[in-house]
Amino acid sequence: MHSAFTRSHALAAYTVSVLAGLTFVCFATTAFRDYSANATIDTVTVLVRNVPDYSASREKNDMGFMIFDLKADLRPLFNWNVKQLFLYLTAEYQTPNNKLNQVVIWDKIIQRGENAVLDHKNIRPKYYFWDDGNGLKGNKNVTLTLSWNVIPNAGHLPNVVATGSHRFSFPDEYTTSKM
Amino acid sequence: MGLVEWYNGLHMDYDGQARAEKLSRIIILLFGAVGFIWGYIIQQFSETVRILGAGFVLAAILTIPPWPMYMKKALAWQKVRPNTGEGDVSERRRMRTYNFPV
Repeated sequence: MHSAFTRSHALAAYTVSVLAGLTFVCFATTAFRDYSANATIDTVTVLVRNVPDYSASREKNDMGFMIFDLKADLRPLFNWNVKQLFLYLTAEYQTPNNKLNQVVIWDKIIQRGENAVLDHKNIRPKYYFWDDGNGLKGNKNVTLTLSWNVIPNAGHLPNVVATGSHRFSFPDEYTTSKM
Repeated sequence: MGLVEWYNGLHMDYDGQARAEKLSRIIILLFGAVGFIWGYIIQQFSETVRILGAGFVLAAILTIPPWPMYMKKALAWQKVRPNTGEGDVSERRRMRTYNFPV
């Protein structure tokens, strides 16, 4: 003979098992989706300074500064298994000191339901763009790429790079003005 | 005393227990399937979870409390036998001659 408490326990456990099965099927319906999209990036102002990085050593390092435009339509990326997108803008370049440098200068979180069409003009960077050394002055080949991390309700978290990057160069002289 | 009697009164009979469990599983599966299809159509997994939760509440109301419909087929228990001295002796005799299966 089992009691009302046994029945309620069995019911709750069965409900949670069914929920787990539904979550797996939700993951299965979106497992092989393609999360790529195009982004248009453009730089408006580009400066480089040579200032001491007090958080590292006392030496003078190059600090880059760009004001940029960003345009992307990310609405097709959202489905019932996407909770939010974590976007980040990376600057990639090469210096005599280091073969590959990647610096994140801006990021944004877009949750499901929020406006997913990016049309920003004249954005200032969110994070400091320090170089390890003095490799930014006169650097002719710096690439800005937008990437995003898809955060699902259930399943893996793919990292996708947008098609469409922007290449620019830093000026040959340092700026000393405040910006 | 009233609490113990109330607790004992919560028991359904065996047939009622089987029916209650089967009914609760059918309800949950049905609401799960409907919730999944509806959630897929409107592309919101939160709606699927909500519909399943509604199914849980319905199954809880229908199958957890001992409704009268689950107590229709009570087992006919044997009457309590009186425990006299004679009964003990004959029972012990029966235990000694019990042949264990080979």
